[in-house]
Amino acid sequence: MLSRLVFVSANALKGSGPLGAGLVQASRSLHTSSQNLAPVPPLPEKGGKVRHGIFPEELFQLLYPKTGVTGPYMLGTGLLIYMLSKEIYVINHETFAALSIGSVIVYGVKKFGPSVAAFADKLNEEKVAKAQEVKDAALASLTQAVEQEKKEQWRAEGRTLLFDAKKNNVAMLLETNYRERLHMVTNEVKRRLDYQIALQDLHRRMEQEHMINWVEKSVIGSITPQQEKESIAKCISDLKVLAKSTKATV
Amino acid sequence: MVLSFFDQFMSPSYLGIPLMALALILPWTLYPKPTSQWISNRVLTLQGWFINRFTQQLMLPLGRKGHKWALLLTSLMIFLITLNMLGLLPYTFTPTTQLSLNMGFAVPLWLATVLIGMRNQPTIALGHLLPEGTPTPLIPVLIIIETISLFIRPIALGVRLTANLTAGHLLIQLIATAAFVLAPLMPTVALLTATLLLLLTLLEVAVAMIQAYVFVLLLSLYLQENV
Repeated sequence: MLSRLVFVSANALKGSGPLGAGLVQASRSLHTSSQNLAPVPPLPEKGGKVRHGIFPEELFQLLYPKTGVTGPYMLGTGLLIYMLSKEIYVINHETFAALSIGSVIVYGVKKFGPSVAAFADKLNEEKVAKAQEVKDAALASLTQAVEQEKKEQWRAEGRTLLFDAKKNNVAMLLETNYRERLHMVTNEVKRRLDYQIALQDLHRRMEQEHMINWVEKSVIGSITPQQEKESIAKCISDLKVLAKSTKATV
Repeated sequence: MVLSFFDQFMSPSYLGIPLMALALILPWTLYPKPTSQWISNRVLTLQGWFINRFTQQLMLPLGRKGHKWALLLTSLMIFLITLNMLGLLPYTFTPTTQLSLNMGFAVPLWLATVLIGMRNQPTIALGHLLPEGTPTPLIPVLIIIETISLFIRPIALGVRLTANLTAGHLLIQLIATAAFVLAPLMPTVALLTATLLLLLTLLEVAVAMIQAYVFVLLLSLYLQENV
Protein backbone atom coordinates (compact mmCIF):
# COMPACT_ATOMS: atom_id res chain seq x y z
CA MET A 1 0.00 0.00 0.00
CA LEU A 2 1.66 3.10 -1.25
CA SER A 3 -0.27 5.29 1.15
CA ARG A 4 1.43 3.57 4.05
CA LEU A 5 4.82 3.98 2.43
CA VAL A 6 4.09 7.66 2.19
CA PHE A 7 3.05 7.85 5.83
CA VAL A 8 6.09 5.98 7.08
CA SER A 9 8.58 7.99 5.10
CA ALA A 10 6.69 11.16 5.88
CA ASN A 11 7.24 10.33 9.54
CA ALA A 12 10.93 10.15 8.93
CA LEU A 13 11.08 13.55 7.28
CA LYS A 14 11.30 16.33 9.75
CA GLY A 15 9.23 19.33 8.98
CA SER A 16 7.00 17.46 6.64
CA GLY A 17 4.13 19.62 5.71
CA PRO A 18 1.71 19.28 2.85
CA LEU A 19 4.67 18.74 0.53
CA GLY A 20 6.02 15.78 2.54
CA ALA A 21 4.71 13.12 0.21
CA GLY A 22 5.93 14.92 -2.87
CA LEU A 23 9.40 15.41 -1.37
CA VAL A 24 9.64 11.70 -0.60
CA GLN A 25 8.86 10.70 -4.16
CA ALA A 26 11.14 13.36 -5.61
CA SER A 27 14.14 12.26 -3.60
CA ARG A 28 14.03 8.69 -4.90
CA SER A 29 17.01 8.23 -7.21
CA LEU A 30 16.31 7.21 -10.72
CA HIS A 31 18.21 4.13 -11.93
CA THR A 32 21.55 5.21 -10.54
CA SER A 33 22.85 1.67 -10.03
CA SER A 34 22.23 -1.60 -11.81
CA GLN A 35 19.26 -3.42 -10.37
CA ASN A 36 20.00 -6.06 -7.82
CA LEU A 37 17.84 -8.97 -8.91
CA ALA A 38 19.12 -11.64 -6.56
CA PRO A 39 18.64 -12.44 -3.80
CA VAL A 40 15.02 -11.40 -4.27
CA PRO A 41 13.77 -9.58 -1.18
CA PRO A 42 11.39 -11.81 0.71
CA LEU A 43 7.65 -11.16 0.61
CA PRO A 44 6.19 -10.02 3.91
CA GLU A 45 4.48 -12.96 5.58
CA LYS A 46 1.43 -11.18 6.84
CA GLY A 47 -0.36 -8.16 5.46
CA GLY A 48 -0.09 -4.76 7.03
CA LYS A 49 -1.58 -4.44 10.49
CA VAL A 50 -5.03 -2.88 10.55
CA ARG A 51 -7.34 -1.85 13.31
CA HIS A 52 -11.07 -2.46 13.00
CA GLY A 53 -10.55 -4.13 9.69
CA ILE A 54 -9.89 -1.09 7.54
CA PHE A 55 -7.78 1.54 9.32
CA PRO A 56 -4.03 0.91 8.99
CA GLU A 57 -2.05 0.85 12.20
CA GLU A 58 0.31 3.49 10.81
CA LEU A 59 -2.44 6.10 11.08
CA PHE A 60 -2.65 5.51 14.81
CA GLN A 61 1.12 5.62 15.13
CA LEU A 62 1.16 8.85 13.14
CA LEU A 63 -1.30 10.59 15.40
CA TYR A 64 -0.05 9.14 18.68
CA PRO A 65 2.66 11.74 19.49
CA LYS A 66 0.30 14.65 19.07
CA THR A 67 -3.07 13.36 20.22
CA GLY A 68 -2.38 10.24 22.21
CA VAL A 69 -4.41 7.06 22.08
CA THR A 70 -7.87 8.56 21.50
CA GLY A 71 -6.69 10.88 18.73
CA PRO A 72 -7.73 8.85 15.68
CA TYR A 73 -11.04 7.94 17.26
CA MET A 74 -11.81 11.59 17.91
CA LEU A 75 -10.83 12.34 14.35
CA GLY A 76 -13.18 9.69 13.03
CA THR A 77 -16.08 10.70 15.21
CA GLY A 78 -15.57 14.32 14.35
CA LEU A 79 -15.48 13.62 10.65
CA LEU A 80 -18.63 11.52 10.86
CA ILE A 81 -20.55 14.08 12.86
CA TYR A 82 -19.37 16.85 10.54
CA MET A 83 -20.56 15.01 7.48
CA LEU A 84 -23.90 14.18 9.08
CA SER A 85 -24.63 17.57 10.50
CA LYS A 86 -23.69 19.49 7.38
CA GLU A 87 -25.65 16.95 5.37
CA ILE A 88 -22.65 16.24 3.21
CA TYR A 89 -23.72 12.66 3.78
CA VAL A 90 -27.50 12.42 3.74
CA ILE A 91 -29.19 9.59 5.58
CA ASN A 92 -31.57 7.93 3.22
CA HIS A 93 -32.72 4.47 2.29
CA GLU A 94 -29.26 3.61 1.02
CA THR A 95 -27.98 3.99 4.56
CA PHE A 96 -30.15 1.12 5.67
CA ALA A 97 -29.06 -0.93 2.69
CA ALA A 98 -25.45 -0.05 3.53
CA LEU A 99 -25.96 -1.12 7.14
CA SER A 100 -27.41 -4.46 6.13
CA ILE A 101 -24.74 -5.31 3.54
CA GLY A 102 -22.09 -4.03 5.95
CA SER A 103 -23.29 -6.33 8.70
CA VAL A 104 -23.37 -9.27 6.25
CA ILE A 105 -19.79 -8.54 5.20
CA VAL A 106 -18.53 -8.12 8.75
CA TYR A 107 -20.26 -11.30 9.87
CA GLY A 108 -18.85 -13.21 6.91
CA VAL A 109 -15.30 -12.01 7.52
CA LYS A 110 -15.42 -12.67 11.24
CA LYS A 111 -16.94 -16.11 10.89
CA PHE A 112 -15.16 -17.49 7.83
CA GLY A 113 -11.99 -15.42 7.81
CA PRO A 114 -9.77 -17.66 9.96
CA SER A 115 -10.87 -20.87 8.27
CA VAL A 116 -10.28 -19.43 4.79
CA ALA A 117 -6.87 -18.16 5.86
CA ALA A 118 -6.06 -21.56 7.32
CA PHE A 119 -7.13 -23.19 4.06
CA ALA A 120 -4.87 -20.90 2.03
CA ASP A 121 -2.02 -21.64 4.42
CA LYS A 122 -2.70 -25.35 4.09
CA LEU A 123 -2.48 -25.13 0.30
CA ASN A 124 0.90 -23.45 0.55
CA GLU A 125 2.06 -25.89 3.23
CA GLU A 126 1.18 -28.83 1.01
CA LYS A 127 3.17 -27.31 -1.83
CA VAL A 128 6.19 -26.84 0.44
CA ALA A 129 5.74 -30.30 1.93
CA LYS A 130 5.76 -31.91 -1.49
CA ALA A 131 8.99 -30.20 -2.41
CA GLN A 132 10.47 -31.03 0.98
CA GLU A 133 9.53 -34.66 0.47
CA VAL A 134 11.36 -34.74 -2.83
CA LYS A 135 14.37 -33.12 -1.20
CA ASP A 136 14.31 -35.56 1.74
CA ALA A 137 13.98 -38.54 -0.54
CA ALA A 138 16.93 -37.34 -2.58
CA LEU A 139 18.97 -36.79 0.59
CA ALA A 140 18.08 -40.24 1.94
CA SER A 141 18.99 -41.97 -1.29
CA LEU A 142 22.27 -40.09 -1.47
CA THR A 143 23.29 -40.95 2.13
CA GLN A 144 22.42 -44.55 1.42
CA ALA A 145 24.57 -44.43 -1.69
CA VAL A 146 27.46 -43.02 0.38
CA GLU A 147 27.12 -45.83 2.93
CA GLN A 148 27.04 -48.45 0.25
CA GLU A 149 30.12 -46.92 -1.31
CA LYS A 150 31.94 -47.16 2.02
CA LYS A 151 30.93 -50.78 2.34
CA GLU A 152 32.23 -51.45 -1.14
CA GLN A 153 35.52 -49.88 -0.20
CA TRP A 154 35.78 -52.12 2.87
CA ARG A 155 35.00 -55.07 0.67
CA ALA A 156 37.72 -54.02 -1.74
CA GLU A 157 40.23 -54.06 1.12
CA GLY A 158 39.17 -57.53 2.06
CA ARG A 159 39.68 -58.74 -1.47
CA THR A 160 43.45 -59.18 -0.97
CA LEU A 161 42.77 -61.75 1.74
CA LEU A 162 40.43 -63.46 -0.65
CA PHE A 163 43.08 -63.52 -3.33
CA ASP A 164 45.63 -65.05 -0.95
CA ALA A 165 43.20 -67.72 0.10
CA LYS A 166 42.42 -68.47 -3.51
CA LYS A 167 46.10 -68.66 -4.38
CA ASN A 168 46.67 -71.07 -1.54
CA ASN A 169 43.77 -73.10 -2.71
CA VAL A 170 45.07 -73.30 -6.23
CA ALA A 171 48.55 -74.18 -5.02
CA MET A 172 47.15 -76.97 -2.91
CA LEU A 173 45.16 -78.27 -5.80
CA LEU A 174 48.21 -78.28 -8.00
CA GLU A 175 50.26 -80.01 -5.34
CA THR A 176 47.59 -82.62 -4.84
CA ASN A 177 47.38 -83.18 -8.53
CA TYR A 178 51.10 -83.54 -8.82
CA ARG A 179 51.24 -86.01 -5.99
CA GLU A 180 48.46 -88.03 -7.48
CA ARG A 181 50.19 -88.25 -10.78
CA LEU A 182 53.44 -89.15 -9.11
CA HIS A 183 51.68 -91.91 -7.28
CA MET A 184 50.13 -93.06 -10.48
CA VAL A 185 53.44 -93.09 -12.22
CA THR A 186 55.10 -95.14 -9.48
CA ASN A 187 52.23 -97.54 -9.55
CA GLU A 188 52.49 -98.00 -13.25
CA VAL A 189 56.21 -98.49 -13.09
CA LYS A 190 55.81 -101.01 -10.30
CA ARG A 191 53.26 -102.88 -12.32
CA ARG A 192 55.54 -103.07 -15.27
CA LEU A 193 58.39 -104.29 -13.10
CA ASP A 194 56.12 -106.80 -11.35
CA TYR A 195 55.15 -108.05 -14.74
CA GLN A 196 58.73 -108.59 -15.67
CA ILE A 197 59.41 -110.37 -12.39
CA ALA A 198 56.38 -112.56 -12.82
CA LEU A 199 57.49 -113.30 -16.30
CA GLN A 200 60.92 -114.36 -15.13
CA ASP A 201 59.42 -116.45 -12.36
CA LEU A 202 57.23 -118.12 -14.84
CA HIS A 203 60.19 -118.78 -17.05
CA ARG A 204 62.19 -120.34 -14.25
CA ARG A 205 59.28 -122.41 -13.03
CA MET A 206 58.57 -123.68 -16.43
CA GLU A 207 62.20 -124.53 -16.92
CA GLN A 208 62.23 -126.29 -13.55
CA GLU A 209 59.11 -128.23 -14.30
CA HIS A 210 60.32 -129.15 -17.68
CA MET A 211 63.62 -130.27 -16.30
CA ILE A 212 61.95 -132.32 -13.54
CA ASN A 213 59.65 -133.90 -16.07
CA TRP A 214 62.56 -134.73 -18.30
CA VAL A 215 64.56 -136.11 -15.47
CA GLU A 216 61.67 -138.18 -14.28
CA LYS A 217 60.97 -139.40 -17.72
CA SER A 218 64.52 -140.31 -18.36
CA VAL A 219 64.80 -142.03 -14.99
CA ILE A 220 61.63 -143.92 -15.49
CA GLY A 221 62.76 -144.76 -19.00
CA SER A 222 66.07 -145.93 -17.76
CA ILE A 223 64.60 -148.37 -15.35
CA THR A 224 64.87 -151.71 -17.23
CA PRO A 225 62.41 -154.53 -16.51
CA GLN A 226 65.20 -156.60 -14.94
CA GLN A 227 66.02 -153.92 -12.49
CA GLU A 228 62.37 -153.52 -11.73
CA LYS A 229 61.95 -157.19 -10.83
CA GLU A 230 65.06 -157.11 -8.67
CA SER A 231 63.95 -154.08 -6.78
CA ILE A 232 60.53 -155.52 -6.18
CA ALA A 233 62.06 -158.84 -4.87
CA LYS A 234 64.35 -156.82 -2.63
CA CYS A 235 61.42 -154.85 -1.33
CA ILE A 236 59.49 -158.01 -0.52
CA SER A 237 62.41 -159.59 1.37
CA ASP A 238 62.91 -156.36 3.30
CA LEU A 239 59.31 -156.35 4.19
CA LYS A 240 59.44 -159.92 5.41
CA VAL A 241 62.38 -159.12 7.63
CA LEU A 242 60.58 -156.10 8.96
CA ALA A 243 57.49 -158.14 9.58
CA LYS A 244 59.45 -160.68 11.55
CA SER A 245 61.12 -158.00 13.65
CA THR A 246 57.83 -156.36 14.32
CA LYS A 247 56.10 -159.51 15.27
CA ALA A 248 58.94 -160.15 17.65
CA THR A 249 58.63 -156.83 19.40
CA VAL A 250 54.84 -157.22 19.79
CA MET B 1 -28.55 13.69 -2.63
CA VAL B 2 -32.12 12.94 -3.41
CA LEU B 3 -32.31 9.58 -5.00
CA SER B 4 -35.08 8.18 -7.04
CA PHE B 5 -35.39 4.48 -7.31
CA PHE B 6 -34.00 4.28 -10.79
CA ASP B 7 -30.96 6.47 -10.40
CA GLN B 8 -28.85 3.47 -9.64
CA PHE B 9 -29.61 2.01 -13.03
CA MET B 10 -28.66 5.08 -15.00
CA SER B 11 -25.41 4.81 -16.89
CA PRO B 12 -22.95 6.75 -14.75
CA SER B 13 -21.47 9.97 -16.02
CA TYR B 14 -19.70 12.89 -14.40
CA LEU B 15 -19.93 16.33 -15.91
CA GLY B 16 -20.92 14.70 -19.15
CA ILE B 17 -18.01 12.21 -19.17
CA PRO B 18 -19.33 8.67 -19.26
CA LEU B 19 -17.84 6.56 -16.52
CA MET B 20 -19.00 3.19 -17.80
CA ALA B 21 -15.46 2.23 -18.80
CA LEU B 22 -14.28 2.93 -15.26
CA ALA B 23 -17.05 0.79 -13.83
CA LEU B 24 -16.14 -2.06 -16.15
CA ILE B 25 -12.40 -1.88 -15.46
CA LEU B 26 -12.82 -1.87 -11.68
CA PRO B 27 -12.99 -5.67 -11.21
CA TRP B 28 -9.67 -6.09 -13.02
CA THR B 29 -7.94 -3.92 -10.44
CA LEU B 30 -9.15 -6.07 -7.57
CA TYR B 31 -7.39 -9.26 -8.53
CA PRO B 32 -3.59 -9.35 -7.99
CA LYS B 33 -1.40 -10.60 -10.76
CA PRO B 34 0.34 -13.91 -10.09
CA THR B 35 3.99 -13.38 -9.22
CA SER B 36 6.88 -15.45 -10.41
CA GLN B 37 7.63 -16.39 -6.81
CA TRP B 38 6.93 -19.97 -5.98
CA ILE B 39 4.92 -19.50 -2.78
CA SER B 40 2.61 -16.51 -2.97
CA ASN B 41 0.51 -14.81 -0.34
CA ARG B 42 -2.91 -16.01 0.79
CA VAL B 43 -4.93 -13.94 -1.67
CA LEU B 44 -3.01 -15.19 -4.69
CA THR B 45 -3.08 -18.78 -3.44
CA LEU B 46 -6.84 -18.67 -2.98
CA GLN B 47 -7.36 -16.95 -6.31
CA GLY B 48 -5.28 -19.54 -8.10
CA TRP B 49 -7.00 -22.40 -6.33
CA PHE B 50 -10.46 -21.07 -7.14
CA ILE B 51 -9.68 -20.46 -10.80
CA ASN B 52 -8.14 -23.91 -11.16
CA ARG B 53 -11.06 -25.70 -9.53
CA PHE B 54 -13.66 -23.73 -11.44
CA THR B 55 -12.03 -24.25 -14.82
CA GLN B 56 -11.58 -27.95 -14.12
CA GLN B 57 -15.23 -28.32 -13.16
CA LEU B 58 -16.45 -26.35 -16.14
CA MET B 59 -14.28 -28.14 -18.68
CA LEU B 60 -15.13 -31.66 -17.47
CA PRO B 61 -18.09 -32.28 -19.81
CA LEU B 62 -16.42 -30.57 -22.75
CA GLY B 63 -13.99 -32.44 -24.93
CA ARG B 64 -10.57 -31.31 -26.01
CA LYS B 65 -12.04 -28.96 -28.57
CA GLY B 66 -14.05 -27.16 -25.92
CA HIS B 67 -10.96 -26.51 -23.83
CA LYS B 68 -10.17 -23.59 -26.09
CA TRP B 69 -13.00 -21.77 -24.36
CA ALA B 70 -11.54 -22.20 -20.88
CA LEU B 71 -9.96 -18.75 -20.66
CA LEU B 72 -13.03 -17.00 -22.02
CA LEU B 73 -15.53 -18.74 -19.77
CA THR B 74 -13.50 -18.52 -16.57
CA SER B 75 -12.68 -14.87 -17.04
CA LEU B 76 -16.33 -14.18 -17.86
CA MET B 77 -17.35 -15.91 -14.66
CA ILE B 78 -14.89 -13.95 -12.52
CA PHE B 79 -15.95 -10.72 -14.21
CA LEU B 80 -19.67 -11.28 -13.71
CA ILE B 81 -19.32 -12.45 -10.15
CA THR B 82 -17.21 -9.44 -9.22
CA LEU B 83 -19.57 -6.99 -10.92
CA ASN B 84 -22.57 -8.52 -9.21
CA MET B 85 -20.99 -8.61 -5.76
CA LEU B 86 -19.62 -5.09 -6.04
CA GLY B 87 -23.07 -3.89 -7.02
CA LEU B 88 -24.41 -4.88 -3.63
CA LEU B 89 -22.37 -2.16 -1.94
CA PRO B 90 -24.25 1.07 -1.38
CA TYR B 91 -24.14 3.88 -3.93
CA THR B 92 -22.54 1.65 -6.54
CA PHE B 93 -23.49 1.15 -10.12
CA THR B 94 -23.91 -2.43 -11.32
CA PRO B 95 -23.10 -2.70 -15.02
CA THR B 96 -24.86 -6.05 -15.25
CA THR B 97 -28.19 -4.38 -14.66
CA GLN B 98 -27.87 -2.89 -18.13
CA LEU B 99 -29.52 -5.04 -20.77
CA SER B 100 -27.07 -3.76 -23.33
CA LEU B 101 -24.10 -5.24 -21.46
CA ASN B 102 -25.73 -8.59 -20.89
CA MET B 103 -26.93 -8.89 -24.45
CA GLY B 104 -23.45 -7.85 -25.50
CA PHE B 105 -22.15 -10.90 -23.67
CA ALA B 106 -24.94 -13.33 -24.52
CA VAL B 107 -25.54 -12.83 -28.26
CA PRO B 108 -21.95 -13.07 -29.56
CA LEU B 109 -21.05 -16.02 -27.37
CA TRP B 110 -24.25 -17.91 -28.16
CA LEU B 111 -23.85 -17.15 -31.87
CA ALA B 112 -20.28 -18.40 -31.66
CA THR B 113 -21.43 -21.73 -30.28
CA VAL B 114 -24.09 -22.09 -32.97
CA LEU B 115 -21.67 -21.21 -35.77
CA ILE B 116 -19.05 -23.61 -34.43
CA GLY B 117 -21.65 -26.37 -34.38
CA MET B 118 -22.89 -25.56 -37.89
CA ARG B 119 -19.41 -25.38 -39.30
CA ASN B 120 -17.78 -28.43 -37.75
CA GLN B 121 -20.63 -30.89 -37.38
CA PRO B 122 -23.69 -29.50 -39.18
CA THR B 123 -25.63 -32.77 -39.09
CA ILE B 124 -25.33 -33.16 -35.34
CA ALA B 125 -26.04 -29.49 -34.74
CA LEU B 126 -29.18 -29.62 -36.82
CA GLY B 127 -30.04 -32.93 -35.21
CA HIS B 128 -30.39 -31.17 -31.88
CA LEU B 129 -33.51 -29.56 -33.28
CA LEU B 130 -35.36 -32.87 -33.00
CA PRO B 131 -35.35 -34.62 -29.62
CA GLU B 132 -35.08 -38.39 -29.66
CA GLY B 133 -38.17 -40.52 -29.62
CA THR B 134 -40.75 -38.03 -30.87
CA PRO B 135 -43.78 -39.49 -32.54
CA THR B 136 -43.75 -38.97 -36.31
CA PRO B 137 -46.80 -36.67 -36.66
CA LEU B 138 -45.30 -34.22 -34.19
CA ILE B 139 -42.00 -33.80 -36.03
CA PRO B 140 -42.76 -30.63 -38.06
CA VAL B 141 -44.24 -28.80 -35.11
CA LEU B 142 -41.38 -29.84 -32.88
CA ILE B 143 -38.76 -28.61 -35.34
CA ILE B 144 -40.40 -25.20 -35.36
CA ILE B 145 -40.60 -25.17 -31.58
CA GLU B 146 -36.98 -26.21 -31.18
CA THR B 147 -35.85 -23.54 -33.64
CA ILE B 148 -37.72 -20.90 -31.72
CA SER B 149 -36.18 -22.16 -28.50
CA LEU B 150 -32.76 -22.02 -30.11
CA PHE B 151 -33.19 -18.41 -31.08
CA ILE B 152 -34.65 -17.42 -27.76
CA ARG B 153 -31.51 -18.62 -25.93
CA PRO B 154 -29.45 -15.42 -26.20
CA ILE B 155 -32.41 -13.28 -25.25
CA ALA B 156 -33.09 -15.56 -22.30
CA LEU B 157 -29.45 -15.46 -21.20
CA GLY B 158 -29.25 -11.69 -21.31
CA VAL B 159 -32.64 -10.94 -19.86
CA ARG B 160 -32.26 -13.51 -17.09
CA LEU B 161 -29.15 -11.82 -15.74
CA THR B 162 -30.54 -8.32 -16.19
CA ALA B 163 -33.91 -9.08 -14.65
CA ASN B 164 -32.51 -10.92 -11.67
CA LEU B 165 -30.08 -8.23 -10.73
CA THR B 166 -32.38 -5.33 -11.47
CA ALA B 167 -35.20 -6.90 -9.49
CA GLY B 168 -32.89 -7.63 -6.60
CA HIS B 169 -31.52 -4.13 -6.47
CA LEU B 170 -34.96 -2.60 -6.74
CA LEU B 171 -36.24 -4.79 -3.93
CA ILE B 172 -33.38 -3.75 -1.71
CA GLN B 173 -34.11 -0.13 -2.49
CA LEU B 174 -37.81 -0.47 -1.79
CA ILE B 175 -37.48 -2.35 1.45
CA ALA B 176 -34.72 -0.06 2.65
CA THR B 177 -36.97 2.90 1.85
CA ALA B 178 -39.78 1.26 3.76
CA ALA B 179 -37.55 0.73 6.76
CA PHE B 180 -36.22 4.27 6.49
CA VAL B 181 -39.66 5.82 6.29
CA LEU B 182 -41.10 3.68 9.06
CA ALA B 183 -38.19 4.22 11.45
CA PRO B 184 -39.46 7.43 13.08
CA LEU B 185 -43.12 6.37 12.87
CA MET B 186 -43.33 2.73 13.93
CA PRO B 187 -39.93 1.56 15.18
CA THR B 188 -40.93 -2.06 15.73
CA VAL B 189 -42.31 -2.45 12.22
CA ALA B 190 -39.18 -0.73 11.00
CA LEU B 191 -37.13 -3.30 12.88
CA LEU B 192 -39.04 -6.10 11.22
CA THR B 193 -38.50 -4.47 7.87
CA ALA B 194 -34.82 -4.15 8.66
CA THR B 195 -34.68 -7.86 9.40
CA LEU B 196 -36.39 -8.51 6.10
CA LEU B 197 -33.79 -6.32 4.46
CA LEU B 198 -31.01 -8.35 6.06
CA LEU B 199 -32.46 -11.58 4.74
CA LEU B 200 -32.96 -10.03 1.34
CA THR B 201 -29.36 -8.92 1.31
CA LEU B 202 -28.27 -12.46 2.00
CA LEU B 203 -30.49 -13.64 -0.82
CA GLU B 204 -29.05 -11.03 -3.12
CA VAL B 205 -25.52 -12.15 -2.35
CA ALA B 206 -26.51 -15.68 -3.26
CA VAL B 207 -28.36 -14.53 -6.38
CA ALA B 208 -25.38 -12.49 -7.51
CA MET B 209 -23.11 -15.50 -7.41
CA ILE B 210 -25.66 -17.95 -8.79
CA GLN B 211 -26.69 -15.78 -11.73
CA ALA B 212 -23.14 -15.33 -12.87
CA TYR B 213 -22.55 -19.06 -12.57
CA VAL B 214 -25.76 -19.90 -14.44
CA PHE B 215 -24.83 -17.59 -17.29
CA VAL B 216 -21.48 -19.26 -17.76
CA LEU B 217 -22.85 -22.74 -17.19
CA LEU B 218 -25.52 -22.33 -19.85
CA LEU B 219 -22.95 -21.07 -22.31
CA SER B 220 -20.81 -24.10 -21.60
CA LEU B 221 -23.84 -26.33 -22.14
CA TYR B 222 -24.57 -24.72 -25.49
CA LEU B 223 -20.92 -25.24 -26.33
CA GLN B 224 -21.10 -28.87 -25.28
CA GLU B 225 -23.92 -29.45 -27.73
CA ASN B 226 -22.06 -27.91 -30.59
CA VAL B 227 -18.35 -28.40 -30.12
